Amino acid sequence: METKRFKNKRDFILITILVILVGAIYISFKLFMFTEDAAQAQVYYGTSTEPIVTIDFVNYRVIKNYIQNVPDGYDQNYPIIDEEAQTITLLGDYELNGIRQIVVIKYEFGTANSKPSVEIIQEQSPNNICSREGVSTGKPLICLPNRIRVEFDSSEVDFTV
Amino acid sequence: MTLLANFLAIAIVLNIIESLVPVIPVPGAKLGFANIVTLIILYVYSFKDSATITILRVLLVSLLTGKLLGPVFYMSFSGAIFATFAMGFFKKTNLFGVLGVSVIGSIFHCIGQIIAGIFVIGSSAVIFYLPIMLVLSIPAGVVTGLITQRFLVIWQTWHNEFEN
Repeated sequence: METKRFKNKRDFILITILVILVGAIYISFKLFMFTEDAAQAQVYYGTSTEPIVTIDFVNYRVIKNYIQNVPDGYDQNYPIIDEEAQTITLLGDYELNGIRQIVVIKYEFGTANSKPSVEIIQEQSPNNICSREGVSTGKPLICLPNRIRVEFDSSEVDFTV
Repeated sequence: MTLLANFLAIAIVLNIIESLVPVIPVPGAKLGFANIVTLIILYVYSFKDSATITILRVLLVSLLTGKLLGPVFYMSFSGAIFATFAMGFFKKTNLFGVLGVSVIGSIFHCIGQIIAGIFVIGSSAVIFYLPIMLVLSIPAGVVTGLITQRFLVIWQTWHNEFEN
């Protein structure tokens, strides 16, 4: 009789309602988000709101906005942009044996059959969540231990100087 | 007191095991199986005890894994606090049983982690991960709730026998 104290019929109603609600959010999210082609992707380092690199999918170019501030003893040229291989290399925050590890981002300009996309192809972290995420065409990629993130923008920004 | 310390040890082990198995594709996020202990203490002892043990658990786990004051720590801490307070509140209202309270805790655990994530990462981009986390949090909450329910039933009968 005491065990009744822990059970309640309302639990099942609550769970059913929550399943429906959360399912609806998830499905509508899958259906309506990221259907547009991205106009650009921004690469951020740390908590900065200024993107360190901008990938402009509309004009097919990659813009290095500023140089990553890294301590002495590391290559001072990060982010390194390789236009041939279409990769951007940054220095992440995650350390292996006291040495900070690099994060390599691969970008792909859209073609007639494919959407512009970004993928994190190399990175060191305990669970490798951001590189396991694979190719993204709109969903932000976040490397928490490395403090590097990629966000997409669908609105076209005027770059006239 | 001794029993509470044992519960704390169990919670720490659950938490560490959980952080080794990345089931959710969300940076720094966890499903919150260590909530089993928070929930048990909430029912066996009190809200105060469960909050204390939960805070100690998060602090000790981050110390043991070397992540104290790192980004993951803030996310765990916020998630645990949200879950504990939500479960404490809904237990008090007596609207739901253990299962319901557990699922609510699981959902608030996600919300807490995402809110901390927004500050830690400095971008609202983490919100995009909320739907998938919520989808996974319901089964996680149900499993946590069923384990806790089973435990409380055994605990209760064992206690009754002991007293009679």
